[in-house]
This record gives sequence, structure tokens and C-alpha cells, in this order.
Amino acid sequence: MATMTNPIELHEPVNRFVVIHPLDDVPEEKVDTRNLGPMAMTLSVRISLLSLRAYLVLMMVLVFYHVLDLAGLFGRHG
Amino acid sequence: MANKFVTVPAASLETEVQPVRGRVVKSRWAHNLLTFLMVFGPGLIVMVADNDAGAVSTYSQAGAQYGTHLLWVVLLLLPVTYFIQEMVVRLGIATGQGHAAMIYQRFGRWWGLFSLVDLELVNFLTLVTEFAAIDLALNKMGVDPRIGVPLVAAGLVLMAVTGSYRRWERTVVFLCLLDLAWFAIAFRSHPPLWQIARGSLIPGMPPGGLTPDLMFLVIAVVGTTVAPWQLFFQQSCIADKRLRFADLKWARLDTFLGACITITVAGCMMIAGNASRVHGFTFTDPAQMAVDIGTFTSGFFKHAILLMMINAAVLGTTAISLSSAWAYGEVRGWPHSLQLPVRKAPGFYVVYLLCVAVAAGLVLIPRAPLQLIILGVQVLAGVMLPSAIIFLQLLLNDKELLGGYANKPWNNWVNWIIITVLFILSLILAAQVAAPNLFPAA
Repeated sequence: MATMTNPIELHEPVNRFVVIHPLDDVPEEKVDTRNLGPMAMTLSVRISLLSLRAYLVLMMVLVFYHVLDLAGLFGRHG
Repeated sequence: MANKFVTVPAASLETEVQPVRGRVVKSRWAHNLLTFLMVFGPGLIVMVADNDAGAVSTYSQAGAQYGTHLLWVVLLLLPVTYFIQEMVVRLGIATGQGHAAMIYQRFGRWWGLFSLVDLELVNFLTLVTEFAAIDLALNKMGVDPRIGVPLVAAGLVLMAVTGSYRRWERTVVFLCLLDLAWFAIAFRSHPPLWQIARGSLIPGMPPGGLTPDLMFLVIAVVGTTVAPWQLFFQQSCIADKRLRFADLKWARLDTFLGACITITVAGCMMIAGNASRVHGFTFTDPAQMAVDIGTFTSGFFKHAILLMMINAAVLGTTAISLSSAWAYGEVRGWPHSLQLPVRKAPGFYVVYLLCVAVAAGLVLIPRAPLQLIILGVQVLAGVMLPSAIIFLQLLLNDKELLGGYANKPWNNWVNWIIITVLFILSLILAAQVAAPNLFPAA
């Protein structure tokens, strides 16, 4: 991985350090995520995530219903 | 420090890439300071932008209703918000990609789509609340919102479409530093210093004990301090700024300083709310609180609070709209960078423009149900937060992805405690709002 942030001595008697803004620096080599593919998940992790998703969907529907109810869409509020 | 520009030939660069430009300094101290200043930005912005219009309302209400008694809750949130965002910093620097892209690639299309829809929905509703606050503050300042709101929206779009990340960042950092005016506002209200120290350092229950109203406000304080968009925003921001592995410690410092500033400013908002309470005013909204404070300080402070409200909403809007635009661009595979001109990343800028324009337009519709939207945002953000953090937690334990940057066991302990507490609070909040009859009246 290439990085230019470490101090670079310019071979002069006085110490000199070069500071480079990240946007001006050589693009750094990162983890190649595209070739990693999906994460290996155990069954318990899958079930937990699915339960969480079901909870979120249920709560969203509940909140949406409550907001519509407050807006008087079901005729009980002014 | 003798600074000058120097061009260092970059051996590993392709021929079409610009040569590397650097700045020469003579001491290690100056090197560290300059490196920090160059890395500084995403951490401060994500934290200060989190003190958005909704936060101004929540914190000042907490102060107006409970005085300095809830300051310890805010202080307790300092390590929480830092720990969560620090994980985002590691993930962003190690992968060089945004949070939405990571969820899509590591959890698959199905989970990625769900996360994206959740984010875009809550973000959009939050944006409406930001413009509702701008509308409210402009009204109190005597400015017609039909003119003021479109002008603010135009400014927000112009801020982002310059084709330069640095220009956007400098503008937003300047706006973040304006937030420090809250210190002056709090100081001018002659704060009771002993009460503030006691309220901050000694956890205690306000007079009246634990009521549903207090519970709701505490959850709102937690929900407004840690929000799902922050995870997506900071990671994409770090990726766009192309922070390097060597920048990690400075990015952490940036995030920590941002967390300290945002928590202290939140405390100042509570102190301002407390001042209005001490003078016998009843809290209705932060704009009215500004008018009330103006009666016992000066017109200058009334306008200062109203301007700070607008500033908070502007910061929130640019950060939230960008988190939406970055996330959508990452998932669709579109070019998505503030470094790119509009013609090279049209989809990214169109999403940003739509977020700002539609939210601003909705606020200007007469009799739009803004209060209902604000209520919905608070609940949805609270419900979704633990879910968003669980994805973050799983990604941070992905050794294949992060290697040495993955979570240590102590990180996991701290994070699971945070997730559990947030989950319980979100459950109470959701139940309290969705089924208020379950809870006895205060």
C-alpha cells in the first residue's frame, strides 16, 4: 500500500517533513471488497437479522398507522 | 514553520494521475499539526451536524422542562457517540468505501436494499423537519419563508455543486464553528455554575420522578445524539476525502473533538432552555424560546438563537442530503463524489438536489402536517438505530474485510451494551408513541 504521509527526509542537514493532503496523495491500496463476496453468516446470525427486519417492518407499519390515525384519516381525530 | 509547496514524484502513479503535491515543514510538531488540520473535517462535521434543528428543539425543551437535571444524560452520550463513530472511521479508512456499499457487498442485495430504503425514508422525513425549523425561525425574524426557504435551499445546493470536496468541507467547517456561539448564548443567560456542575457530574432524577414525559424526553435526547444517517455520512465522507491508514489516529482525534464540541454545545442549549424556565416562560418551540430569552437579555440574543437554529438546520440538511446521495450512488454504482463536477456525477447531484428541493417544497405547502412528520421521524429514527448499529457491529467483526482493524473484544463488549440499551429505549419509545394508552398520564 502506498502512502505519502510519513515524514520524508529530503537528504538535507536540517530535518524536513512533507505533509500531503489526502486528496493530493497517491490513491492508497485498500481491501478489495468486490472480490470478497458476501460475508459468511451462521444460521443464528441469519435468524437474528431476519427477526430484526420483521420487528422493523412491524414497527414501521405501526408508526405509519398511528400517524395516519393522528391525522384523522380513520375519523376518530379532528 | 517555513511552508512551501513541493512536488514529490509519485513512483507508483499511472501517467494520467496528477503528481503529488505536499507542504514542507521543519519540525515534527508542525508536521503533526498540519497533518491533523488536513485530515480534520469529517469527524467535526458529522458530530456538529448532529446538533440539527431537531436537536436544538429537544435539548432546549429538556432544559426548559427539567433545568440542569438532564445534563448528565448528555455527558453520558459523549463516549457512546464517539465509540460508534470511531468504528465508522476504521471501516471507512480500511475499505475506502461508503457504509451502504459495504452492506450491499457483504450482506447481499436484499439486506442492502432494506438498509438503503430505511435510510432514505428517515433521512427524507428528517430533512422536512430541518426546513420546518428554518420556516419557523424565519417567521420569528420577520422574513417571509416563501422567499427565505427557497433561498436557503439554493444556498445548500450551491454549497455542494462546486466540484471540490475541499470547498464544501471548508464552508461546512466554518458553519460548524459558528455553532460555538451557543457558548456565548449560554453564558449571557447567567448560568448557575454550581447547578450545572452538579447536573453534569451527579446522575439524578429531576423533581417529579420518572414520568412518561421524562422518559420520552430522555429517549429523544439519546435518539437525537446518535442517528442512523451519521454512520453512512461519516464513512462516505472519509471515502470521498480518501483518508489513508496513516490518518487513522488523526481521524479519531477529529471525531473525538467533534464529539466533545457537540456534547458541550448540547449542554449550552439545555442551559439556554433553563434560563427561559427560570424567567417563568413555558417552552413551546425553540423559536419562541429565542423570543422569550430576548425579553430578558437583548434583541441581539433573540436573533442569535434564531440564526443558530437556521445554522443547525442548514448543517443537518447538507449532511443528511449528502448521506442519502452518497448511499444511493454507492448502491447504484454511479459516480458519487463531491470532487466531481456535476456533469461527471449527475445522478449523485440529482439525488442531493431532490432531497433539498422536495423537503423545502413540502414545508411551503400550506397546512402540511409537519407536526406529524416530526413525530414520525423521532420514532422511526429511534426504532431503526439499533438495527443500523448491528450491521456496523457485524462489519467491524469481519476479519476478512478489516484484518487488524477489526473490533477487539473490549470494543465488542462496549458496543453490545450500547446496542442493548438503545434497543430497549427504542422499544419503549416506539411503544409510547404507537400506543400511548399503554402508559399512564404524567
